[in-house]
Formats: sequence, C-alpha cells, structure tokens
Amino acid sequence: MDDLTRRDLIKLGAAATVAASLSVGEQLAAQTAPATRTFFTPEELAMVDELSEMIIPTDDHSPGAKAAKVAAYIDSQLADAFEDKDRTTWREGLKLVDQLSRDTTAKTFMQASPDERVAVLTRMAQNEGAPKEPQDVFFIELKARVVNAYYTTDIGIHQDIEYKGNTYLAEFVGFDVSS
Amino acid sequence: MSLIRILQGNAQPEVDLRRTYDAIVIGSGAAGGMAAHVMTSKGMKVLLLEAGKKIDTTKELKSTEWPYEHPRRGEMPPDRHALSLNEYTIRQPPYAADTKYAKVHSYVQGWGGSDYSKNIVVDEKEHPYSGTNYAWVRARCLGGKTNIWGRLALRLSDYDFKGKSHDGYGEDWPISYKDIEPYYNRVDEYLGISGVKENLPYLPDSIFQRPTKLAAAELTLRNSLKKMNRVVTPYRAGVTTDGLKHNKYRSRCFGRGACSRRAGGCDIHAAFDSPTGLIYPAMDTGNLTIRTNATAREILVDKDTGKARGVSFVDTETNRTYEAQAKVVVLAASTLESARLMLLSKSSTHPNGIGNSSGHVGHNFCEHVMGPGITGLVKDKIGAPRTLDDGRPGGFYLPRFRNLSEKNPNFIRGYGFEGGAGTQMFPGNALETPGFGAAYKKKVRDYTGAYISMGAFGEVLSRYENQVDVDPEKKDKWGIPVLRFNYKFGDNEKKMCEDMIGTAQEMFEAAGFEIVNVDKKVLTEGWSIHELGTARMGTDSKTSVLNQFQQSHDVKNFFVVDGSSHVSASCQNPTWTIMALAWRSCDYLASEFQKGNL
Repeated sequence: MDDLTRRDLIKLGAAATVAASLSVGEQLAAQTAPATRTFFTPEELAMVDELSEMIIPTDDHSPGAKAAKVAAYIDSQLADAFEDKDRTTWREGLKLVDQLSRDTTAKTFMQASPDERVAVLTRMAQNEGAPKEPQDVFFIELKARVVNAYYTTDIGIHQDIEYKGNTYLAEFVGFDVSS
Repeated sequence: MSLIRILQGNAQPEVDLRRTYDAIVIGSGAAGGMAAHVMTSKGMKVLLLEAGKKIDTTKELKSTEWPYEHPRRGEMPPDRHALSLNEYTIRQPPYAADTKYAKVHSYVQGWGGSDYSKNIVVDEKEHPYSGTNYAWVRARCLGGKTNIWGRLALRLSDYDFKGKSHDGYGEDWPISYKDIEPYYNRVDEYLGISGVKENLPYLPDSIFQRPTKLAAAELTLRNSLKKMNRVVTPYRAGVTTDGLKHNKYRSRCFGRGACSRRAGGCDIHAAFDSPTGLIYPAMDTGNLTIRTNATAREILVDKDTGKARGVSFVDTETNRTYEAQAKVVVLAASTLESARLMLLSKSSTHPNGIGNSSGHVGHNFCEHVMGPGITGLVKDKIGAPRTLDDGRPGGFYLPRFRNLSEKNPNFIRGYGFEGGAGTQMFPGNALETPGFGAAYKKKVRDYTGAYISMGAFGEVLSRYENQVDVDPEKKDKWGIPVLRFNYKFGDNEKKMCEDMIGTAQEMFEAAGFEIVNVDKKVLTEGWSIHELGTARMGTDSKTSVLNQFQQSHDVKNFFVVDGSSHVSASCQNPTWTIMALAWRSCDYLASEFQKGNL
C-alpha cells in the first residue's frame, strides 16, 4: 500500500469519508456516460452555484467554481447518493442559508446583495475549527464538497494548481543523492 | 467432472484433477508467485490455486486517467462503502454486519481513486471475521495484494534476525543475514529495485537500479539529520526503473506517479506485481497450471503417513468442492489466511491442524504499528513556482535509529519513517485551510507545494498471547469457518509510539520546518497491512512451526512460505524478505524433491 497517501487521507479524515460515499450513478451507467441525474431544484442549483463561487472565486490566476461547474457535479453526486441523509443535509442546509439571510437582511440569500451574502457565509464559517451550530456543520459539508469537486476538474488541476505531474518522464525530477 | 477448463486469461494447461502434480501452491501473491517461479524454473509441474479471479490490471487500473475523465472522479459506485477509522474503533468485527450497502471494503477503499481497486480488494460482507478490532486488508485475485502494494522494498539485517541475541527478547531467527543475502540479491536482479546505497549495517543495501530523486525539502531534511547520525534516503521502491531485459510483461518506470495517488497499482507493471513479475514468466515454462476462483478449504493428508497429499478447494462461483493431488503442498495464502487453513486442516494424524503439534499456529502474531506522524511547512516554498514533485514511486525513507548502539530506557526495538514533500495532484491543504474566497483560494495554491510529512512504522513485538484461531460458529460465504482475532498492541508499542512523536518533532525542528500538525493517535491494529508471524520458523519443534526452510517440523512435504513464517516483525517492510525467503526455501524444496526426500 502506499503509505504516504494512506497517511494524508487519514489526516483528511472526514473529507476522505465524504469522498468515499458521495459517488454518482449506477455502476454500469456511470461507466458509459456522464451522470445526468439531478437533485437540486433550479433555485437550489443557482444558490449552490453562487455559494461555490464565493468559496472558490474566479481571480486573476484562474477561473473559479462556477466556471468549473462545481454545483452541477455536486448535484449529480447527491442525485445518486446512497444515503438519503446526504440529500436531506443539503436541502435543509440550503434552507438554513436562506434563513440566516432573512434573519439579517429580510431577503433570501439570492435576493441579498453581494456584501450581505458574504456576511451570511462569514457567519457560517466563523466556527469552522470547532463546529457546533447546524450552520457551522453545513459550512464544513458545503466547503468539503466544493473543494473536492473544484480541485478534481481540469480547471482546478491544470489552471489553478498548475499541477505538472501525471506525465511520462524520461528522467526523475528533483535532487540527486550521492552514495 | 474432473477436468476444468480455465476460460479466462493467458493460454494455460487445463487443470487435471486426476493427475498428481509435483506441487500445489496455495495463494498467488508475493510468496505464492515466487514459489511458482522457483519450482517451475527447476522443472517441477506446479498447480497454483488462487481464491480470487484473474483481473487484467493492465486495463483495470487506468493509472493516468485524470479525475475529470471519470464520471465519479475516480470514486467507487455509491452503493459501496469503505470502512473508516472510526468504524474500526467503535464497532467490533464483523464490521460489515447489518450494512445497507451492496458492498463494504476495508479502509484502503476510502482513498482517492477507489474505483480502480474496487475489484481487487475483498467485499467484507463475503469475508467476515470476529474477535478484537483489526483493520484487515485483503485482496483476493491473481497476485493478491501485490497488485496494489506500497512498493517500499527493504532488507532486514542481523539486528532483526538476531534480535534476541541483541536485546534478549523473543527468539532469534534460524537464519542470519548471510544465509538470505544471496536470495535478496536474486530478488533484486529478477524483479528490479530502485534506491541509493547508504552502507548502513541495520538496513543493508540492495543491488539498485536508477534511484528516484528527492524534493528540495527532503534534501534539507537529509542534510540536517546527518548531524544526528540519522539518514533520509530516496524511497527504496520495488520498481524497475531501468527495465528488465528478461521480462516481457513489465515496462520500466516513467515517473507518472500514479502509484501514489491511489491505493496503488501500476498498469505498465514497473512496480512489481506477482502476475507480471513471477506468474506469467512461470507459465511460459510450460510447467505451471493456474486455477483461479479456487478457495482452499483443507490441506488433505494421507491417513497412514500423515503426509500432505493434496488440497480440497471450493469453486467460488459454483460452490462445488474439488480435490487436487500433489506430492508437495506449499502454502502461501498470507500470514492470516495460511494460519486459518492450517487450523482448519484437522485429521487423525494432525488433530490440532496440519503442522501444529507445537500449538503455535496462529500465535506469535506480529506486525507494524502506525499512527504517529508529522507535517511541516517549508517557508521558502510558499508561493514558489510550481515544480513536479510526485513523479516517482515514493518519497523518502528514514530508517531506524533507536536501540542500535544505544539502549532506550523505555522500549526495545525500533521504527522508521516514510514520508514525502511537495505538490500532489489534489491539494490536501484545501480541506484544512480555514475560510473562503479569493484569499483562501490563493493560500491553498501558494501553500500546497510547501508541506513535508512523514509517518512511522514500528516493530510490534512477537508475543505468544497475540493470536488468531478459528471461530467455532461463524462462517464465510462459502461455509468456511472464519478467523477470530485475539490481538492487541502492548506496552512496548505504546511507549515506542510516544517516542515517535517526540523524535518526529525533534527532526523537523532541526530541519527548520514549521510544524503544522502532529498525529498522535495510534491507528487500529492491522493498519500497516504487514501482518506476520503466525507459523514461525525455529530450531525447536516445540516452540516453532517451521524449520529454516519454511518446511513443517511435522510434515516434511508441507511448506509455508509467506509472512506467517517470520519470527519477528522488524520495522522494515516485509515483502522483499518474504520473496527472498520463499526463493531460498523453494530452492531447497526442489533439491530435496529431486533427491526423493519429500
């Protein structure tokens, strides 16, 4: 087994567990065609699209989560998730985001101004290290899915991280060690 | 029906259950593959039984497929589940009982790219076990765990083979380094290994092919540790980096790094796997017959002589039972499965199970303890231009330094670290970096190549009371009684783990890394996938199961050539030693066979 990878994923703990259970589609169907099933309502999809872009926005270095179609991937994951609770978590979580928005602005999240949306997400993120309230917990879930989706796209891997590996090398790269 | 045509795979002789083979090998991993290679090369007619199916890993692994080319970004189908550390801790085996999932796998399927190895590792629902907590990782397919192994290929030294002489604990092995050295050399040259000579008495060098290189931070660590008389060396990988002229099934390594992104595996077979390294070449001799989907359920003995006469096996697809006959039986089903099969093979001449007159089968079970580890930040790499850091089979190895010349007051034996630095395809720091937005995104990008981490592997002492036996009630999918664990880490392991935490910090501080995380938790027993010692070798037939040639003290035509024969675990990864020992023993076996002594 690869021990470094093993260690890294132990460290990532929860995220790795999420990744293992958040797959899409019937096995055969999935192997022959991209997943097309959906779960989110159009309103929910727009909200997740917006939230994902707030977490990983387009900047002068690379396109963000919207361009990488992160929301659509999360949608397909949830449509085919084995556990109903994964879908419930998101439906309830997005309602909570709207509620937080209404509490402070009297508007839904999508009706709120960009600054007001940032205030809502900031409030959700404030206990990221030690989540207690439902909105804290949903922020962890939201961010983990967005991160896992974005950094596995061609935009995330090639344009943002500028990953240089997964290629055939004639010689190994790095520093020689002499005997 | 006594003739079974094998439909899948390379052309191979039909299995003829009317004939008596020279030898039957049970298991096709590192040990079984080696046994098949050595005996067929000496002209013996060998039947190899493998419990799983043949998987074409050249097609299955898709080592360079990008995540976005896969509909689930490489993850398993949603109706499959990988056990988590938490589940291993809060539940008791059998872990997959009462699950809703279609299939449940061990924790290795929780890593990235789990879709590519889902057919290699077993479904826990079909293969339950009972007793104490244990993270048991099994691969039932041609080649077994070698299809996804971690590739770190280390030699043991007389600090290991003669551990009792060194510190008084346990038993010495019935061999010393000079007995096995010629066979380590043969394994190196036949299978290929990458590394750098370091001239360390406690970690002997191999005959290395082209080494991999170190990332900048790894070189910093290597240089800073010289003052402490400790070593960081490029990963000694059981990978052919220069190619093997004598093997047409394997390519040389092209540094694609695919082996580090997933459970493992190499679709060009630069990393050793038993099928392409040993079994296919053995088939080319014309002396090897393979029967896959054949789960051995009993080693059959002649009731008059007590000698092994064959193997009873279940076809995993049809559930039908067959018997195959041979003059010699070589068991190589893995440390735990071999013990299970020996204990299941009870007869009037061997009432405690074949080869178990000592009562030691299943006992003295040992392995490596894992958990403690460290991550550091390399400040001058923050925001530095991206470099290619993971195009290699592994990062670095930091060999044992405890209880060599000095004597630690708190524990005996030692541990080593495996580690690596630099950018990987997926930026793991993205999940740990707090916040969101442009500043968050930039920080993930700037920092992702600036980490170095390592984790320890320590010797678990061989103790009689750590054992497995056969559960009196519970059975697997094929009606075969399951293994029951009675195994726990002890005080020496706990104290050793405390020391790992301290020395990891001391070394990263010395190298000038900012420590950002220290893992202190000891992982569940079994996590290292290095289980050893359930049928140990020895000179005394009352306290050991096998002699120095892995030959049963009780049954002279019965050999057990896998990790179960190891007398102690050492802290070095066992695969290369398993193969060197199996080669040595099968050389002896073939010689004795030809003399008519078996």
